[in-house]
Amino acid sequence: MNEIKTTRRNFIISSLALGGALVIGTRAQAAVVDAEPWDLANPAGSVEFTPWLTINADGSVIVRATAVDIGNGTLTQIAAYIKEELDPVWDQIKPQYASTNRDYLEENVYSNANVGGALAYFSGRSTGPARMDTYMQVAASARERLKAAAAAAWSVPAGEITITEGVLNHASGKSGGIGEFVQAAAAIQLAEEPKPKDRSEWTFLGKKHPGKVQLPQIVNGSLIYGVDVIVPNMVYAALRQSPVMGGTLKSFDADAVKSMPGVLAVVAVKPGDNVPTDLKPPFPFGVSTAQHAVAVIAEHYWQARTALDALPVEWDDGPGAQWKTTQQMNDAAIAALDKPGEKVEVSTGDFEGVFKAAKKTVEGTYLTPYCEQAPMEPLNGTAMVTPERVDFWHPSQHSQMAYMVAADETGVKPENVFFHQTFVGGGFGRRVFSDDARMVVAVAKHFPGRPVHVIWSREEATRQGRYRPLMAGRLWAALGDDGYPTALQGRVSGGPGFFVSGINDTAITSLLPNVQIESQTVPFHILTGPYRGPGYNSNAFFIETFLDECAVAAGVDPMEYRLQIFGKWADIGWAKCLNEVKAKSGWGEALPKGQGRGVAIANWGMGGKADAGTTVATVAKVEVSKEGVLKIRQIDLAFDTGRIVNEDAVRTELEGGTMFGLNMAVNEGLNIKDGQIVEGNFDEYPMLRMADMPAQINVHFGGLSDNPRFNEIGEPPAGVIGPAVGNAIFAATGKRIRQMPFRTQDMSWS
Amino acid sequence: MAVSLMINGKATEVDADPQTPLLWVLRDHLGMTGTKFGCGIAQCGACTVHIDGVATRSCQFPLEAAEGVKITTIEGLSPDSSHPLQKLWVEFNVPQCGYCQTGMLMAAAALLDEIPNPTDADIDQYVSNICRCGTYTRVRAAIHKAADLMKA
Repeated sequence: MNEIKTTRRNFIISSLALGGALVIGTRAQAAVVDAEPWDLANPAGSVEFTPWLTINADGSVIVRATAVDIGNGTLTQIAAYIKEELDPVWDQIKPQYASTNRDYLEENVYSNANVGGALAYFSGRSTGPARMDTYMQVAASARERLKAAAAAAWSVPAGEITITEGVLNHASGKSGGIGEFVQAAAAIQLAEEPKPKDRSEWTFLGKKHPGKVQLPQIVNGSLIYGVDVIVPNMVYAALRQSPVMGGTLKSFDADAVKSMPGVLAVVAVKPGDNVPTDLKPPFPFGVSTAQHAVAVIAEHYWQARTALDALPVEWDDGPGAQWKTTQQMNDAAIAALDKPGEKVEVSTGDFEGVFKAAKKTVEGTYLTPYCEQAPMEPLNGTAMVTPERVDFWHPSQHSQMAYMVAADETGVKPENVFFHQTFVGGGFGRRVFSDDARMVVAVAKHFPGRPVHVIWSREEATRQGRYRPLMAGRLWAALGDDGYPTALQGRVSGGPGFFVSGINDTAITSLLPNVQIESQTVPFHILTGPYRGPGYNSNAFFIETFLDECAVAAGVDPMEYRLQIFGKWADIGWAKCLNEVKAKSGWGEALPKGQGRGVAIANWGMGGKADAGTTVATVAKVEVSKEGVLKIRQIDLAFDTGRIVNEDAVRTELEGGTMFGLNMAVNEGLNIKDGQIVEGNFDEYPMLRMADMPAQINVHFGGLSDNPRFNEIGEPPAGVIGPAVGNAIFAATGKRIRQMPFRTQDMSWS
Repeated sequence: MAVSLMINGKATEVDADPQTPLLWVLRDHLGMTGTKFGCGIAQCGACTVHIDGVATRSCQFPLEAAEGVKITTIEGLSPDSSHPLQKLWVEFNVPQCGYCQTGMLMAAAALLDEIPNPTDADIDQYVSNICRCGTYTRVRAAIHKAADLMKA
């Protein structure tokens, strides 16, 4: 346990409002979570036990989130931690976002190593075990103080008092709400802080599975996402960035549009126009660099869009224009595999010797294209910049990064930057690097004194992404007499920003005695960034398709082949997951030609270790028409993340991650022409819809190993569904799919 | 140009360019942000409203065409989130990020108005909205359940 040190001094802060917070709410709300849960002051009569936890006089409880809720339920999760230890009434727990400004002023109260982050990490994953300990501890400490306060008032031993549903009770019949005792509890000094409950004592975590706390506001449309922010005196901006990444703005004719209705200004943004700070951001500021851009600012958004479309603009494309076609880039990535990689990622045993002696070898070359995260809420943000102060409302995936970027772009002192974390209409990695945050502030600083709401068009967002990198991979295996691999060699290549995780640190690279994995960077100009399961989402496809090819070469059923290999792995979760999907998916039942099942297994986050990360095994059943039209008939998956604390939250992420990975595999791929991204909107970059999905995704829980961990759950399923479908297509048609997206591949058969 | 609109049973005047999409009239001019911007080309359905009861993608519906029709937005689907679909969306924990869900709900509500007991194929046809989080299986289950409840 990563227990935090709670001293009297830092445990109870005060009953006063947050210092310096600006409270701007645009619409009043009353529900479980506020529709605009940012920078809210502590109510009168409340006690802030720590910056994480405030108890109000009415018995409601404020818990502050450092992790952004991007639909993964982080706000619900932290409420569940508080419920377990303190037991307030469930819908009286009010999650809010922690203030990044306060974190800065109060020496990283939310982001130091003692409270669960090796680094200040405000991103989606930070509700994991380390943060859990922090929340459970502060709730337990508050609980014992409340009990001590009631014990003193009632002249009974504190140990005889219980708290149930927000009420302190004693067998004598005395009872009172927790709100009645908060002031007295604030004065209590405990000899030592209590330990949070043992897992065996949990009554809520792992037992109940509450739906997301913001559901009521989602279904009536009142939840405020970044794009919904309306603040007084606000204007809108429409944005166009250099069509070729890295290009520069040559000229634009503002006079041509300045008399159009509502137009207020035309402004240019360029990289390096910022006022650097000495802040230490969670990611290097370089990942947030602005591209050359022009923006039209107008009273209304449609006026800005219309004027931008009419604005004459000339660009200098720069060196990126050398990449004339997608094929040219694909060829360059694959050509990089022909020679030894510049970097050796893993090298064990005598792989060369084993290959030389091998009677049978298998080779496969694979490719995955650039992909756009395409969150449904287009990139946007609202900023008001003055020389002294920045107010910034933004749907970030990493509020601390966005906060620091705002300071770094404007030169305004960090203590005078107020970042307001809104709800987020999907993230998938796109809103982590905060290039969007920088662009908003960079536009707004050219129009100081009025809040500027910058909204990307869908086309602009799609063509100006920070993409899943284009990657190629080639794998070789030496097979022994029994058909099983004795050595493995792999090379992966990609544009700057590609990852080797998922291939250099997965089970088979640890299991086999003779392995070498190499990598090679290709100098593409296209910018990249995190995309659900970075690296893993390509590499799991490479290695799990390849393993299927090895099974075919060995003449062994692909499921049995994997069970043989991974049955030897120290982490029992792998075999458990395979056995679970084997039993539940109908594996082995005969199918007519044109139908087939495929399996894949991978782990996100293991870092080469057993009993780490999250393992997912997926079986897909597909039907392919003779003309080559693919239909997904059934999906079964089993997973092992050790243990879980909210079954339905886990289920939704496994369903969602599977659908995301399926879309990636079947549909997604950006094309390049003369250095520009071709696709702009969903007519060209298709998304799966209801009609494309089986009626359900069968999530099975029999793979759980009960190893004492719980890990990320949204990313792991995204890597395995693609190879499972690809392997199923092979089973159905005899055609091996080695390149994404599958819809561009010939699947016809006769 | 001032245009008279009837939105959620209330008469409203808007002064904007007649070509302005209804989506932006609602969101920007009227501050009704429950109707979402997703693509702008009637692909994704996040902006779905009812025009005289028919599910319509408001990003491609100009203000000038909105005069004299009855417009219902998510804010008017029910006064208190009591539409069976809204209740089931909560019960089934359908939304993830939730951004597309108001459009989903409006599409599903129009479907049930027209076909009280829809088949899977009906749902496929009427609810063609895009959800990037992948909530489709729950959307489908909630629509079927709502149909059952509304029959009773």
